[in-house]
Amino acid sequence: MIRRRDLAAAVIGLLPKSEPRIEGGFVFESETEGPDLGHRLRDRARFPAPRRTERIETLIVGGGAAGLCAAWHLLRRGYRDFLLLEMERQPGGNARWGRNDVSAFPWAAHYLPVPDPRQTLTRELCRDFGLLEGENWNERHLCHEPRERLFLHGRWQEGIEPAIGLTPEDARQYERFQQIVGELRQTGAFRIPMEEGLARSTPAIRALDQITFDQWLAQHGFSSPYLRWYLDYSTRDDYGTSLEGISAWAGLHYFAAREPHELGPLTWPEGNGWLVQRLLERIGARVRTGAMVHSITRAGARWQAAAGDTRYDAAFVIFAAPTWLASWILDPPPPRWPFAYAPWVVANLTLHRWPENRGLEYAWDNVIYGSPSLGYVVATHQNVKTFQPETVWTWYMALASGRAADQRRLLLGGDYSYWKEIVLSDLERAHPDIRRCVRRLEIFRIGHAMPRPAPGAIFHPERFRRARHSGTLVFANSDLSALSLFEEALYRGVSAASHVLRLASRAGA
Amino acid sequence: MAFVLFLSVFLIAACGLVYELIAGAAASYLLGDSILQFSTVIGAYLFAMGVGSWLSRYLTRSLVARFISIELMVGLLGGFSSTLLFFAFAWSQGFRFLLYALVLAIGILVGLEIPLLMRILRERYQLRELVANVLTFDYLGALGASLVFPLFLVPRLGLVRGAMLFGLINALVALWSTWIFRHHLPQPLVQRAASAFVVLLLGAGLAIGDRITDTADAALYADEVILARSTPYQRIAVTRWKDDIRLYLNGHLQFSSRDEYRYHEALVHPGLASVAAPRRALVLGGGDGLAVREILRYPSIESVTLVDLDPEMTRLFSTHPLLTALNGNALNDPRVRIVNADAFPWLESTRESFDFIAADFPDPNNYSLGKLYTTAFYRLLKRALAAGGAAAVQSTSPMFARQSFWCIHETLKAAGFRTYPYHAYVPSFGEWGYVLATHTEWRPPEQLPSGLRFLTPANIRTLFEFPPDLAPVPAEPNRLFDQVLVRTYDREWREILR
Repeated sequence: MIRRRDLAAAVIGLLPKSEPRIEGGFVFESETEGPDLGHRLRDRARFPAPRRTERIETLIVGGGAAGLCAAWHLLRRGYRDFLLLEMERQPGGNARWGRNDVSAFPWAAHYLPVPDPRQTLTRELCRDFGLLEGENWNERHLCHEPRERLFLHGRWQEGIEPAIGLTPEDARQYERFQQIVGELRQTGAFRIPMEEGLARSTPAIRALDQITFDQWLAQHGFSSPYLRWYLDYSTRDDYGTSLEGISAWAGLHYFAAREPHELGPLTWPEGNGWLVQRLLERIGARVRTGAMVHSITRAGARWQAAAGDTRYDAAFVIFAAPTWLASWILDPPPPRWPFAYAPWVVANLTLHRWPENRGLEYAWDNVIYGSPSLGYVVATHQNVKTFQPETVWTWYMALASGRAADQRRLLLGGDYSYWKEIVLSDLERAHPDIRRCVRRLEIFRIGHAMPRPAPGAIFHPERFRRARHSGTLVFANSDLSALSLFEEALYRGVSAASHVLRLASRAGA
Repeated sequence: MAFVLFLSVFLIAACGLVYELIAGAAASYLLGDSILQFSTVIGAYLFAMGVGSWLSRYLTRSLVARFISIELMVGLLGGFSSTLLFFAFAWSQGFRFLLYALVLAIGILVGLEIPLLMRILRERYQLRELVANVLTFDYLGALGASLVFPLFLVPRLGLVRGAMLFGLINALVALWSTWIFRHHLPQPLVQRAASAFVVLLLGAGLAIGDRITDTADAALYADEVILARSTPYQRIAVTRWKDDIRLYLNGHLQFSSRDEYRYHEALVHPGLASVAAPRRALVLGGGDGLAVREILRYPSIESVTLVDLDPEMTRLFSTHPLLTALNGNALNDPRVRIVNADAFPWLESTRESFDFIAADFPDPNNYSLGKLYTTAFYRLLKRALAAGGAAAVQSTSPMFARQSFWCIHETLKAAGFRTYPYHAYVPSFGEWGYVLATHTEWRPPEQLPSGLRFLTPANIRTLFEFPPDLAPVPAEPNRLFDQVLVRTYDREWREILR
């Protein structure tokens, strides 16, 4: 098809072009939202005194996955005398999502692995949401093909585990690692939720929590750069922590806690925002947003929580906000919470056209070997259109190594153009024309995205103490598991809610 | 006078460089591998210029007349160079030969220009001054051309008309040389007339250059292109050769008017004629309206919904006289409702139900199209199919893509349909496959609408018989999360085309 226009394009294409403008900025960082708000807490800023009091039996603090799941459980048991307070304007926490004229997209967590039959609670939630019908998973919500690809040695390969250029020794080490993981899986000590397996821990398994994953790999002679990259990628992806900073127990949990599965994961254009929306459909009216609880104090047998101009007088409190915040909110403060939190950067890029792509078709998850980022997920992948000229990509990076506090300073120190440049130059490795395709690029800086499961975290006495339910104020955040997973948030939320239900029925009786 | 002379040097230098760039660009565009094309074209061109300079020694008499002839030849050859190249690419096997022949010829002529001009001007200037000035303007011309080519010539005029514009400049230089050097010319009028003729020829070419590119486009199809549209979704081309009208989408044949009735009768009637008093029908894909035409043969039909992604497609097939003649003006029938939408999301959102559904999508040659052949899609199809209704699914060729065909069959079964696979022979496609899907048991129709050219109540049954070479092979259902069909289809067609 020889056309003048095409000819012009062919020749002009050789010339450098001025780059189109890319719009955007940081999100969730207005005055009433984002890091400033947390900082005001930390700095004990003066908050106005409440002018009115509201009496409620149970107060849930925090509208992330854990708090919403606690509320979901209360309602399912027919319990309605509760209220959920969320400090941000949009509930969902790490499962928040956005939407523009092209697509919905996640702002953080974006999938749920297909739960195996042992994960009864997660399966129950899936049934409630129509994801699991009988024993059949709803095809619409399972990740469509092609699922994953990896940019390695200048080309895309299928799957994320490196397969191009492996030496026989690399392959042997890979096989040996799988074998060890298989044996650990058999012990039953690695489960989701993690609490359910701990009782089966032998001293050897407990010892895994005393060293880093990196040290464990060295001890076992795992030196293959491909294997080490893949493991590092996995721990950065799930726990925001690199091999050198993560407990060997947690690193191995990632692989040993799940059956190798053909299906899944479950995913949606808005990521886990889809789950949040289903939860909100059920809880909706009992959620108050923009309500930051800045103090919780004892008042006799009850609790008084202050948020904005209201004092909430509650018999029971489920503290589902990140556990570290309790040190700033509870009076008197609980013992020091010993975990560091990994900072993350998430960017959503709106593309007016897809970058040129040779070889494999675009997958849902697209990872770049050797990059400090975690690659990008295509938000439009799960819509079933045959024609999708525009798209939204969600790019992830955990600031996974070094001290978390230093990384957080780096995170907040860089301005928008700094982080924009990081995102674009990272994608440029695999997509040289990316700058000409993006029309909007928004960035979410998450200072405390998830707990880092450093050595010692899993068997830390304070973790056990805080996770145990006693009294009328209980904790529920997924960080009690030291593993930031939706399933853990569900488990912690539901456990806390069950405890409150027991207390409430006792009080009522 | 001096200024005009050196302006000529500037212009012919620019022309020389432009022809070289045009040859390199056209070769890169048509053959690919721009580094190879530019490098060999530039090399051949410079070499030819050397040959020209060397040959200039043999020109001894009437230098001015020779110079004018050379300018005219360069103008003609260079001016029509890209036209010649495009036509050679479209119509002959000798593109490369012509490319280098043209490059060598133009190069030799351009190589003659400057030495000749210097010798002509030798009497007016000192050698020192002459060499300095001529070479200065020569290089300046090259600079000018190299800037004009990408910034103005290609984007505004294109290669075909751009070449003609510069050919015209060569011819104009020849024309005014007949004035400047009129005292050196034995017969200035003859030269002037020849120059004027070439100027007119190139001027005319410049005026109709647009039509020339369209003709070259047409040559890529075997038959006459009567209609071509590029839409955001696809490239639509309709060709005609005698009474055979063909539709191509992105270069893939969709139908030939000589045998499309076989394809569309087979798609519609085995299913639709078996439904008692069908009222509502749905066509997914099939913006050509040919399946709709078959559906409208049933007097009980009250509405036909046509869902096709591309508005341009349905517009063409409801307005172009030649195309509406093909589909019997089906798309303008008051019973027909056209929806320009993506089929999967549309089906997901609709709550309507239909007595007959035809799924007439392109073959599943990528993951996007593969979605339209999954259990997830067929479950939606099942929801939209009324009790007692029938759905017919275009299912690629059981001959060329046997396992793909049976995979589609398996997928419909897995979605909970009762399935009845069948096939028909369509000469321009070969042996073609369909699957009929119903809620309850299907019986072949006893009666068919009148006016059919392919199907009879008697021969319908034979379509459902599969000879051993098309017989079922084991296949897995195609699912959104595991698109076995796309991989199977890709493998099977690759084996055919090998």
